[in-house]
Amino acid sequence: MRVTFTVNGRPQEADDVWEGESLLYVLRERMGLPGSKNACEQGECGSCTVRLDGVPVCSCLVAAGQVQGRRVDTVEGLAGEDGELSAIQQAFVDAGAVQCGFCTPGLLVAADELLEHNPSPSDGDIREALSGNLCRCTGYEKILDAVRLAAARTGQGV
Amino acid sequence: MGITRTPTSLTQSSATRGGIGESTLRPDGTLKVTGEFAYSSDLWHEDMLWGYTLRSTVAHAAIVSIDTSEALATSGVYAVLTYDDLPTEVKHYGLEIRDTPVLAHGKVRHHGEPVALVAADHPETARRAAAKIRVEYDALPVITDEASATAPDAVLVHEGRDDHHIGHVPHPNIVHRQPIVRGDADRAAERADVVVSGEYVFGMQDQAFLGPESGLAVPAEDGGVDLYVATQWLHSDLRQIAPVLGLPERKVRMTLSGVGGAFGGREDLSMQIHGCLLALRTGKPVKIVYNRFESFFGHVHRHPARLWYEHGATRNGKLTHVRCRIVLDGGAYASASPAVVGNAASLSIGPYVVEDVDIEALALYTNNPPCGAMRGFGAVQACFAYEAQMDKVAAELGMDPVEFRQVNAMEQGTVMPTGQTVDSPAPVAELLRRVKSRPLPPERQWETTEGADVRALPGGLSNTTHGEGVVRGVGYAVGIKNVGFSEGFDDYSTARVRMQVINGEPVATVHTAMAEVGQGGVTVHAQIARSELGVTQVTIQPADTQVGSAGSTSASRQTYMTGGAVKNTCEAVREKVLDLGRRRFGSYHPAWATAELLLEGGKVVTDGGEALADIADVLEDDVVDLELEFRHRPTQAFDLRTGQGNGHVQYSFAAHRAVVEVDTELGLVKVVELACAQDVGKALNPLSVVGQIQGGTTQGLGVAVMEEIVVDPKTALVRNPSFTDYLIPTILDTPTIPVDVLELADEHAPYGLRGIGEAPTLSSTPAVLAAIRQATGLELNRTPVRPEHLTGS
Amino acid sequence: MKPFAYRRADDVAAAVALLSQDRHAVFLGGGTNLVDHLRLGVATPDTLVDVSRLPLDRIEELPGGGLRVGATVRNSDLAADPLVRQRYPVLSQALLSGASGQLRNAATTAGNLLQRTRCVYFQDVTTACNKRDPGSGCSALGGYQRYHAILGASPECTATHPSDMAVAMAALDAVVQVVGPDGERAVPIGDFHRLPGDRPHHDTVLGHGDLVTAVDLPPLPETVRSRYRKVRDRASYAFALVSVAAALDVRDGVVADVRIALGGVAHKPWRASLAEQELRGAPATEDSFRRAAEAELAAAQPVDGNAFKVPLARNTLVATLRELTGGTPR
Repeated sequence: MRVTFTVNGRPQEADDVWEGESLLYVLRERMGLPGSKNACEQGECGSCTVRLDGVPVCSCLVAAGQVQGRRVDTVEGLAGEDGELSAIQQAFVDAGAVQCGFCTPGLLVAADELLEHNPSPSDGDIREALSGNLCRCTGYEKILDAVRLAAARTGQGV
Repeated sequence: MGITRTPTSLTQSSATRGGIGESTLRPDGTLKVTGEFAYSSDLWHEDMLWGYTLRSTVAHAAIVSIDTSEALATSGVYAVLTYDDLPTEVKHYGLEIRDTPVLAHGKVRHHGEPVALVAADHPETARRAAAKIRVEYDALPVITDEASATAPDAVLVHEGRDDHHIGHVPHPNIVHRQPIVRGDADRAAERADVVVSGEYVFGMQDQAFLGPESGLAVPAEDGGVDLYVATQWLHSDLRQIAPVLGLPERKVRMTLSGVGGAFGGREDLSMQIHGCLLALRTGKPVKIVYNRFESFFGHVHRHPARLWYEHGATRNGKLTHVRCRIVLDGGAYASASPAVVGNAASLSIGPYVVEDVDIEALALYTNNPPCGAMRGFGAVQACFAYEAQMDKVAAELGMDPVEFRQVNAMEQGTVMPTGQTVDSPAPVAELLRRVKSRPLPPERQWETTEGADVRALPGGLSNTTHGEGVVRGVGYAVGIKNVGFSEGFDDYSTARVRMQVINGEPVATVHTAMAEVGQGGVTVHAQIARSELGVTQVTIQPADTQVGSAGSTSASRQTYMTGGAVKNTCEAVREKVLDLGRRRFGSYHPAWATAELLLEGGKVVTDGGEALADIADVLEDDVVDLELEFRHRPTQAFDLRTGQGNGHVQYSFAAHRAVVEVDTELGLVKVVELACAQDVGKALNPLSVVGQIQGGTTQGLGVAVMEEIVVDPKTALVRNPSFTDYLIPTILDTPTIPVDVLELADEHAPYGLRGIGEAPTLSSTPAVLAAIRQATGLELNRTPVRPEHLTGS
Repeated sequence: MKPFAYRRADDVAAAVALLSQDRHAVFLGGGTNLVDHLRLGVATPDTLVDVSRLPLDRIEELPGGGLRVGATVRNSDLAADPLVRQRYPVLSQALLSGASGQLRNAATTAGNLLQRTRCVYFQDVTTACNKRDPGSGCSALGGYQRYHAILGASPECTATHPSDMAVAMAALDAVVQVVGPDGERAVPIGDFHRLPGDRPHHDTVLGHGDLVTAVDLPPLPETVRSRYRKVRDRASYAFALVSVAAALDVRDGVVADVRIALGGVAHKPWRASLAEQELRGAPATEDSFRRAAEAELAAAQPVDGNAFKVPLARNTLVATLRELTGGTPR
């Protein structure tokens, strides 16, 4: 089947999609957007988190056909057109929140959404918002630092 | 050539000096936050096929027949391979003992063992075809524990063993056994005022790295193959892969792809040989990506263990003796079991002074999942048990548990049970002092003006207690881990460093085979090159087998060893540069001949700070390019009867204090804080050091309260191979982890550094257990502690 | 994964008709359970009929103070709805204690009700399972049963129902609105999910082609307080070992009304009517709560590895009721 939807603001189309393919597979293998990660493909780790019509979901559990005509935003869409990192991306680099980095794209999408509706989250808010994203390297402490840092920088208009 | 998403060089200019000791940022950080970093599962090649592995559904069985005809006839399928299709006489591989069949032959020895391979044009086609392969099994009795393994009539997991351990093991179902006897434990026991014994069980832990096993094998025109893969040790893979393919090593060109975590789980091969076999058979590039279910079967786990300990002490708190017996379950194949046994035995009593010991550690062959390397291996299991014992003895003596540890703490000059003298700082008592002197986190932190914040309480988002019935406990632990490969292994690493002028600026290029698995080795290599060569711009080439071995990214060794190799080669490159300078400019200034010269800020400078020349002018069009090996001090094998020998290179120490709050009614534990103090010798990158310590601490927390691979004792089948059923800590389960870093230089090591990756994983678990014991008064002799262990049944 | 066709239904009638034409078609909602099961080979339909875009995504007030929750209302929207939070805190809490934010953003009300068990054997197609493959046997019996049922199990199946939301709805006496090939009907939630008996492959009383269109929540008197508590192995993102949904009305120290449902203990959300019976008219004291819990759990038949659930369920129920009689606001 053919699936048409908007990815990071651009209309995209994939042909010959098999009905059993997930949104994650279509993004990674058919649209050349491997930023969303495939750590569990069971909705249990959050590494494939994308925004579907603005809302974070696990793209591994969305059947390709369900995305028809909808809006998808992935980690590849976070940076500016000129390649300038967004506040949350830069904060992850600066705070040391990236080690192996496999969980990073999903966390960035989730954290970006958090800061969008809660620009100065408490630690509890951050933990709650990111509790659907597993990380095995960092112990999460520097991920918390990164979200705090991004919030602080954005708050100061940096 | 139609291949995309392959690894690229990382070039980084540092605005600051960017040398060692600074928290410079990762050169791959930007790629990782934009989604552009090429992990092994992201590889793509025009025309590529997808490989899939059919695995055994039983743990121990003879294979009566395999029928692949229907699978082969499936449209879109290019190849189906079984043992009979292996191209050479070499059909097994293994890290130390080549006992693992590339594909099952005659029988399967554990659940999930690879039986057949399929290559097809779509991953789903490959999976469906694999489902059509009919394998007929004839069940064999399963060996699942020591009793069944060593029974007189036990079925042998491996018949006809001829490895170098078979001569000294008491039963062929024992991979390796290492006793350590020093002093006279029987005699010393007579001096003991208190004797405490206990039996402990450590569950099977999974590395649970997030990036699944994956890679891309591309057949080459010369009959060889190019393999892009996520691994911990390219050259060890190569040594195992090439003979199975019947290719000389130079025709198997390996390149490291982005690695999504490792923690020991990528030290053994997974899809490497399988991918190459399919690529060579079909003449097409083949990509294999495991899903999470396969990943649980596709790598070895941490050895589960049963540990029995007896400690004696005098009334004034001095340990008299330790007797212990550590039985590790190695599962169906040897993997790293012999080294795990060596670590467990030699580090079995912990960082304490005990003259009289009687120690035995062994690993079994069973039909359980194969176990091997995982962060802190051997030492982790022992630390859980000896630290529980230390608390028990202290309680028996009526002593403070930290003080009791400090009274018995080893220090520089202490002789280990192996007879080896600890010849660098061993600040065990100081690390304990530091975690203990830290102020305790405030009580009842969950209270807010709007009521209880459940996120800060046991149960978390499950909305259980609002503070009632919550009891606090505090626990301490300290551990000791060896750094680098021990027991006489020729442990070395190689670095190639090139220096040249590009666009008028001196640039260093560092090329090693070091597997960057997330730990930040690439960051540190660039820092070392800057410090040693005085450049700002450093390019880190992708790791591959075109340069000599870097050894494994394991055993906390990589900064020591490949960092050491980069330093070593940089120093040699520097000498060459200075020689060039002397030749070109020596006659203009006497300092060229007389002063100690350094490269700093792009210039040749004297130790007095006088600039003699720009490096760019010294080099002109010359390129200095060297590849050198670096070795640590040689070690010795442990005597097979007494365990004596200078087996280790370096030790690493960390201590933890855990503060927990327990809802005793519902059996829920909230770890409130898990403070760590660790001696790192020299922090080459403080930000990365703290990140490693926090990550290792969290893996120790996981095994304390939730992580365990469940294997059915009757069938040896794995029952929870998913992230739904095998739980690892989320951000809500993980507390604040304050880290206190000591830097006491080890004069034998590059920059005085100490390997750091593993030590924090040791003491984290027993500290949490000790805290829960204090809160509940329960004995708790196994990991993980779950609600049922706290509420009773 | 078996090949299948994908169809999107434009309205309820079309959805029901599409299924009626194809015995091996199934409805697809948010996908969080079914897409996983397709990949695992646990579900093997010929056709997916996507009902996630049906116009059933509203939460409406019913006359008398109840609410009608549309079948495709997302779990996160339901949990956050101001009326739900105000009138049925137990439901909001139950929803928020389930899964992760990402999953709640995708999962639908109907899909959550129809969620299938997390029994490890059900998920593993290489093992026998009467629920997945009727007549093949139950591997859980004598196997790994830590997560399995202590109440209402049968020799054919000891699986538990995984939903949190449904436990709250069971305590709230919700009514499931169904449209099927034979028209509309309303099924009280207590009758909606089944005990396994000798037909464990039927989780609910729905027949082929029956589509859940809404769940009605009857009004709760102002004086009733309600709460959901869940015990699990980590602080978020895990299934319940046991959970309790309770609504309690205490007047002058005496239990005037009470509704209790237990999760994680049975093949269906377990309405604890024995406990309720014990409590009605009894003083709202720790003793009564304990007696009530024990009355309900007297029939428990734990198996190897899940005996802990009996005291855990008792403690969780007592703690929940205790809290509902305490000073915290509803």
